[in-house]
Amino acid sequence: MRSTMNAKHLLVAGLVFAIALDTAVQLLWKLAATRLPADLSPGTLVDAVLHDPLPLLVVGVFMVQLVNWLFVLERADLSYAQPLTSLSYVSVCLLSAWLFGERLDVAKVSGVLMVLVGAVLVGKGPASDSKRP
Amino acid sequence: MSPTLFAMLLVLVCAGVEALAQISLKQSTRQSGRRALWIATGVALFAVEAVLYTAALRRLEVSLAYSLGALSFVAVALGSAWLLDEALPPARWLGIFCILAGCALLAARA
Repeated sequence: MRSTMNAKHLLVAGLVFAIALDTAVQLLWKLAATRLPADLSPGTLVDAVLHDPLPLLVVGVFMVQLVNWLFVLERADLSYAQPLTSLSYVSVCLLSAWLFGERLDVAKVSGVLMVLVGAVLVGKGPASDSKRP
Repeated sequence: MSPTLFAMLLVLVCAGVEALAQISLKQSTRQSGRRALWIATGVALFAVEAVLYTAALRRLEVSLAYSLGALSFVAVALGSAWLLDEALPPARWLGIFCILAGCALLAARA
C-alpha cells in the first residue's frame, strides 16, 4: 500500500512539472521563432543561434521535459498521461496575452476551453489499461 | 492559400508526427531490448516536428498554435488504440469530438 502511494505521488509530481515545462517551452519557443532572421538559410540560422542563446535554451528546457516525460510514461499509459498536461493551454493562453499582447476574445477563450475539456476527456480512465495483461 | 492557413496546416502535420513520436517513446518502456532504438526514433520525430512547428510559430499566435497542437491527442488516442492496444472508451471519443470542435472554432477565428 505504502509503495503504491509513493508511486502515485511521483506520478503527480512528474505531471505538475510537465505542465510548467510545457508552458515555458511554448513561450520561449514563440520568442525564439519571432527573433529568427526573415531570410532563413543554414548560414543565417547558425549566425542567429550564435548571437541569440534563446534557441539553445528552448532545446535545453525541451531535454529536461523529455527526461521528465519518460519518467511519467514509466508510470502511466500515454493516452492517460498526455492529456492531463492540458492545463498548460490555460497558462499559455493567459501568459501569451500578458507577455506578447495576443488577443483574448470570446471565440479564442471558448476554443481553448473546448480543447481543454476535450483533452481532459481523452485522458479519462485508468492510468494503466486493465485490458492488457 | 493564405500564410495563416498554411501555418495552421503545418500544425496539423505536427500533430501527426507528434503522435508517432509519443508512441515510439511509450514503446521504449514496453520493449526493454529495443529501448534505445525507440527513444532515438521518438527524438528524431520530435526534431522533425520542431522544425515544422517553428515555421508555424513565426506566423501564428502561440496560444493558437499550441491549442491546435491538441490535435495530437486525437492522433495519439487513435494511434495508441490501434498500435499499442490501449483502450478507446466512450469518454475518449467525446474528448476527440470536443478537441475537433474547439480547433475548428479557433481556426475559423484566425
